[in-house]
Amino acid sequence: MSKFIKRKTGNMVLKIEHLTGGYTGVPVIRNINLEIKPGEALGLIGLNGAGKSTTIKHLLGLLRPQKGTIRLNGVELTKQPTEFKQEVAYIPETPVLYPELTLAEHLELTMLAYQLIPQTAWERAEKLLKLFRLDDKLDWLPIHFSKGMKQKVMIVTAFLADTSLLVIDEPFTGLDPLAVANLIDLIKQAIADDKMVLMTTHVLADAEQAISNYAVLNNGTIEVIGSLDEIRAHYGLKPSDAFDKLYQVLNQEQHHA
Amino acid sequence: MRRLAQIRLQHNLRQSLKYLMLVFNDFFILALIFLFGALMYWYAQSMKTIPQGLWFYRPLVAALLWLPLLTGNLVTLLQEADLQFLLPQDEQMNLYLSPLVKYSMALPTLLIVLLAGILFPFATIKAGLAPVSYWEFAVAIWLGKILQLKITQQNLYFGRKISLVLVNLALLIVLCLAIMQPILIWLLLVLLVAGIVAMYLFLERKTLFDWRYAVALEEKRKNRVYTAFSMFTDVKEKQVTIKRRKYLDFLLPRSLERENPNRFLYRRSLLRNPENLNLLVRMTAFAILISWLVQNWAWALGLSCLVIFLTAYQLLPMADEFDDNIMYRVAPILRQNRGHDLIVALRLPMLLQWLLISASWLLLLPFNIQLLEAIGLLICFSGLIVQLYLPYKIKKRKI
Repeated sequence: MSKFIKRKTGNMVLKIEHLTGGYTGVPVIRNINLEIKPGEALGLIGLNGAGKSTTIKHLLGLLRPQKGTIRLNGVELTKQPTEFKQEVAYIPETPVLYPELTLAEHLELTMLAYQLIPQTAWERAEKLLKLFRLDDKLDWLPIHFSKGMKQKVMIVTAFLADTSLLVIDEPFTGLDPLAVANLIDLIKQAIADDKMVLMTTHVLADAEQAISNYAVLNNGTIEVIGSLDEIRAHYGLKPSDAFDKLYQVLNQEQHHA
Repeated sequence: MRRLAQIRLQHNLRQSLKYLMLVFNDFFILALIFLFGALMYWYAQSMKTIPQGLWFYRPLVAALLWLPLLTGNLVTLLQEADLQFLLPQDEQMNLYLSPLVKYSMALPTLLIVLLAGILFPFATIKAGLAPVSYWEFAVAIWLGKILQLKITQQNLYFGRKISLVLVNLALLIVLCLAIMQPILIWLLLVLLVAGIVAMYLFLERKTLFDWRYAVALEEKRKNRVYTAFSMFTDVKEKQVTIKRRKYLDFLLPRSLERENPNRFLYRRSLLRNPENLNLLVRMTAFAILISWLVQNWAWALGLSCLVIFLTAYQLLPMADEFDDNIMYRVAPILRQNRGHDLIVALRLPMLLQWLLISASWLLLLPFNIQLLEAIGLLICFSGLIVQLYLPYKIKKRKI
């Protein structure tokens, strides 16, 4: 069955309800509730160790929740992991490629794993490759790529997968300004195409060009969800205050907790 | 810096001992004793029959004693983090390397002494070298090793790098010439001592350490050592360098239609991961070699069956090869079927192994009807391994 038909049948939404979990028995994140609808993007922000990566690992099925559920388009992650993963593409903070595969083969593997029609997928891939100036490097192995180029490969494969949810973890590290601008454009286009985007970042100046809603994670719980201005107001900051101030407030809160 | 070198040496020694204990286990020691005994017996018997004083004996002794110079490269124990943390220590590097140069001499010294002892009867009786000249020659070899290490040490600094291949070749030629006359051996000794003193003085003046080159060189050395250990035991520190090997792409399916992600990955890993391809090549070459040595179709069949079994058995852990890759876990790839997919990917390599062994039999063994039957039996055995044994193991290991 084509994935496009599948998408229409489910309840088009990412729903995280009462998610509690972590790496050991001690929970790192507690009672996380999030909802992202088609055409919506949510930025996940917080200090290092706040629980952003743990939340993402749960969402990707890399950790098993201690409590709570994660549903995408009506499919529950723990019950139908493969169906769930068919609709999730991920761009990790540190690029992870297969050392044995060339760039072209990474794209082919993505087509196989996400059951894409090769002909149309290649048309889309060519556009993405040109955008990130990788179109002449199809036969390269990862060993020959710089860190930034590897990150671009991750971006290209994630957008090629054409899933309804994009999970993006600190995407701007190691990218040149041109690639950052292209990525922001792609995220905007994905939102316009009714996709869902969840992104963690510290580079709010770049992120806010594509994402207007943010959830602040602190000490493993979500403290507030809203626009950056609403978040500033929640923490008693002025709209003109720099983002650094927000992190200073979060740091003080963490110390008091 | 000297203290740091000593700490690293202790750690390296512990690490090496751990692997040496695993490699030189009771069985291996026993096998070595038998092999060494057999070699020495053959040597002793040959000494009675081989003629005396042939012209090439002395160069042969020189060439054999030169071989230990190829072992024991300079151990620097430098790490990638040193690029960051030891960068301002250029002027201290000679101090750091001093105990390491001594340590690097241990293995070649042992090998020179051992080989010189073994060759002593041949060199003095058959090649006609005076015992004193022979031991002077052995000392020259030892000095040659010191010079070689000093050259390696100077290569670690910015400036002109001297090719070790050329140094070794030059040493081989000089040694082969010097062994012909005792006076030349003396001259060689003087030249080597002068060369070592010159290198010491030269190194005193070197100040700008080539960190990237030195770290890369040490990584290569370590990997060579780990590769040697990995032939006998699992070595987790060993780095694998993937090779593209485009010329083997014809072995991959052209269309993606009948492919799935697991097979796609396994097929490329088989061709490009040296761990897997080297195993296949090594085992196939071994089967061909022993078939040639036994010169009998029945023995060749039995031993080749054993090799085929061992190849399949050793390739089985490939099933878990991608489990640690986060993208493999995140993508919608069915892990439950990966064992079966590995078997499908292994069909072609196993068939090629049979083909190569069979072709070698036709070329190397006496041709008769039994040989053709053996070729038929070998493909049946290979088929049984792929169709029955591997699925059984996969089911048992729940891959």
